[in-house]
Parts: sequence; structure tokens; C-alpha cells
Amino acid sequence: MGAEVGSNQKQIVYTIEECPKCSTKNKRLFTQGDYIIKEAGKCPKCGATMFISAIYGEAPPKA
Amino acid sequence: MVVLATLAPFQIATDPLNLTIQIAFLVGPIFLFMIFGQRFQLIQYQGDVGRGLSRLSLLRDKSKQTLMGYVTKRAPGNQEVSKKMDDFLEYFTIQPVSMDPSGIVKKMDHILTTQDDRIREEVSQLMPATNEVERSVIENMAGVAASMNQIYKVVRHFYLLGKKSANFYLIYQLYMILPTLLKQADALVMAMGTLEQGQPLGDGIGPMSVGLLMRDLPKSKVERDTVVAETSYKNRKVVLLKSEGPKGSLGELDDGLIKILEGEHNDTKAIIMIDAALKLEGEKTGDVAEGVGAAIGGYGVEKFKIEDAAYRKGIPLYAVIVKESIIEAIGAMKKEISESVGEVHKSIYRIVEQTVPENGKVVVIGVGNTLGVAQ
Repeated sequence: MGAEVGSNQKQIVYTIEECPKCSTKNKRLFTQGDYIIKEAGKCPKCGATMFISAIYGEAPPKA
Repeated sequence: MVVLATLAPFQIATDPLNLTIQIAFLVGPIFLFMIFGQRFQLIQYQGDVGRGLSRLSLLRDKSKQTLMGYVTKRAPGNQEVSKKMDDFLEYFTIQPVSMDPSGIVKKMDHILTTQDDRIREEVSQLMPATNEVERSVIENMAGVAASMNQIYKVVRHFYLLGKKSANFYLIYQLYMILPTLLKQADALVMAMGTLEQGQPLGDGIGPMSVGLLMRDLPKSKVERDTVVAETSYKNRKVVLLKSEGPKGSLGELDDGLIKILEGEHNDTKAIIMIDAALKLEGEKTGDVAEGVGAAIGGYGVEKFKIEDAAYRKGIPLYAVIVKESIIEAIGAMKKEISESVGEVHKSIYRIVEQTVPENGKVVVIGVGNTLGVAQ
């Protein structure tokens, strides 16, 4: 008892964009409005339309 | 005198008065603790529980502030909103009487549907300018804030009761359970932030697994907030069912399943349910396990209806679960959980191949809150 409110559970949320054609993945910070299956930008490798395949939280990297 | 002479080498006073005082100092505390020991412990535990209660109060206020912040941003200047949200926190549901248990599930279903409808209507009337996703977020956030309020009030009730009656056992039970409650309360407050952002929850692994399979397929609404799509795998027809995202909804999977089993999919050979399940301490987050039965939580109404429908039609029920703690289930989805999707898909396909004959049909249901997960 006595820890800072929610201090032990802070995490950074990332959005993973995936190309359905060449399976290229792009990891970026989550922005409000992102959701899984949402269309993302063009694939830098093959130009196909990417989609958001995952959104997850990770503990921040230790300094 | 013999006693005094014996005690002399041990540096113990030989003067009878001093000896009496020393014995009193030695034996006194023993008697003191024998008689008042529990009282001292009570004071110590009472202090700890009191501090824990203050922290719970802080967390409750924080969850309420987050809710109010989200709501007032979307309805600026509406004084009624704040009052209504306060009312939501005190909202209660009376469970049906269980003296004659026959038919209790139908009564429970009716009461829970009424509760959902009421909250939904209130939110839409109060915030007409918001979209479906925002309204579902408000409903979810109000649910979390109400849970926090309830935890705080129950702990406060037993704390004050224990204090008033100096009931050691009541305070002791609170003292024992409080660290777990505080951990859960912390997770609930964190979940408010996740809900506010519309991020997928750990509980959303079921809808996520099925939603990814539904991508690019034509979908139709089968029940309120529930969508269905069809695909095929190795000459088997796969009917996919999930709650409609990306709003925060659990859907009506039970009614949706009953509808499709009584309709064009009455020749279904198997039902596979995907859900997040509570892991035991020591188990790894994101581990996937297969089993049989209806993998769905809640009050048990949906589970009952799904089991009943499967039993009446003689359809086997298979379950694929992803293990996670309660804290992980209500917080933002963790990487380990998200990355279990591949393993879940492998399990689904393996079960389909093993249990459904060629040209047969299987229903795959993604169970859980679908916030941040479309289809």
C-alpha cells in the first residue's frame, strides 16, 4: 500500500500496420482513432493498402 | 533467600523490592499483550485499512474525474450531464428471486436487457451529438466508475462497522483483502484511460481473433451489436460471429448464435468459442489452451443459452482460451496477448479439421469486449 496511483502499470501503446500482400509491418505510436482492421497508409515496399493488425501496450524501455 | 542467592550471579537484583519491580517489568508485558494484544493489533490494522480506504477514495475520485472530463468535453455547458453521471454511479440492479430457480435465467436475461437498454437510452438522450463509439465508451466508463464507487462504499461500510464494534475479525479480513482490492482498483483506473482512448482491452482477444478472419468478407448484422460473416477452410464452411466493433460492446452473441442455428446454419457440426480466460498465478500471459464447453463469462445468462442451444441440437462446443490476469483483461491489451492471435488461429483451424467433416459447417465465436477492434 502507498504506491503512486497507477504508477506500476504505465505502458506505451503501439499500433502495428501490416501489408496484406507482402506482410511488411510498421510499428508506430498509437493515435486516437486507431482501431484494428482500420485501413492504414500505403505499403512502402509494394504500395498495397496496409491495415492495422494489432494495437498493444508495452512497458517503456528502461533508461 | 536461597532463590536470591541463586539469582545473584545473573546480575539480577537481590533486593526484594527491586526484584519485584524487575519481575513486573518482565512478566507485565506478557500479561499486557495476552489481555490487550488483539486490541493493539486492531489499532494497527485499523490504521492500515484507513490508509487503504483513503487511497480507494482517491482512485474513485480519479475515475469519476476521468468520466466527467470525457463527458463534459462532448457536452460543454450541459449542467444535467454531471448530475446524471452521479446518478449512474449509484445505479443498481436487483437480482431476481431464486427461491424457485425454475426459469430464473429468463428473468435474469430480462432484467439485464432492461438495464442495458436503460443505460443506453439515457446516454443517447443525454449526449445526442456523440457517435456510437463515443456513447459506448461513456457506457463502459460509467460501468468502471460505478464499480470503483461500489468497491469504495463496501470497504468503507465494513471498515466503519468494524471500527464501531471494535470487531477485530472484520477489520482483519479487510486488512487481508485490501492489497488485492487496491491492485484491482488501480487497474480499473488505468482502464479508464484505455477506454477513453478507444484502445483494445486484454479481454478483446476473442473479437480480435475473429475480426481479423472477417477482414474483407461481406458482413451482416444478426442481432444488436452482433455481426456475422462466412468464409471457408479446406472445404468446410466457417461462420464467424463477433460483437460489432470498434465500439466497446459485448454484443448479443447468445441470441445471434441461436438465430443462425435456427436459420440457414441449422446443419452446423461444431461451435468454437474464443475468449480470454483468467490465468492462475505462475501461468504465462498469452498462453493459448484448448478445451470443451462454452467459453464466455458474465452472469451466466449467455453461457446458459449457448449451452442449451448446443445441447438441444447436439452440436459439440469447443473452446480456445488466451490466458491473462483480471488486471490484464481490463487494461490495454498487452503485447503477449496480442501476439497470441497466430496461435489462436492455428488452434481454430486444427479443431475445424479434426471435428468438422468436409462440406460441413462450423460456427466460430469471438467473445469479449470489442472496443478498438473492428471486423
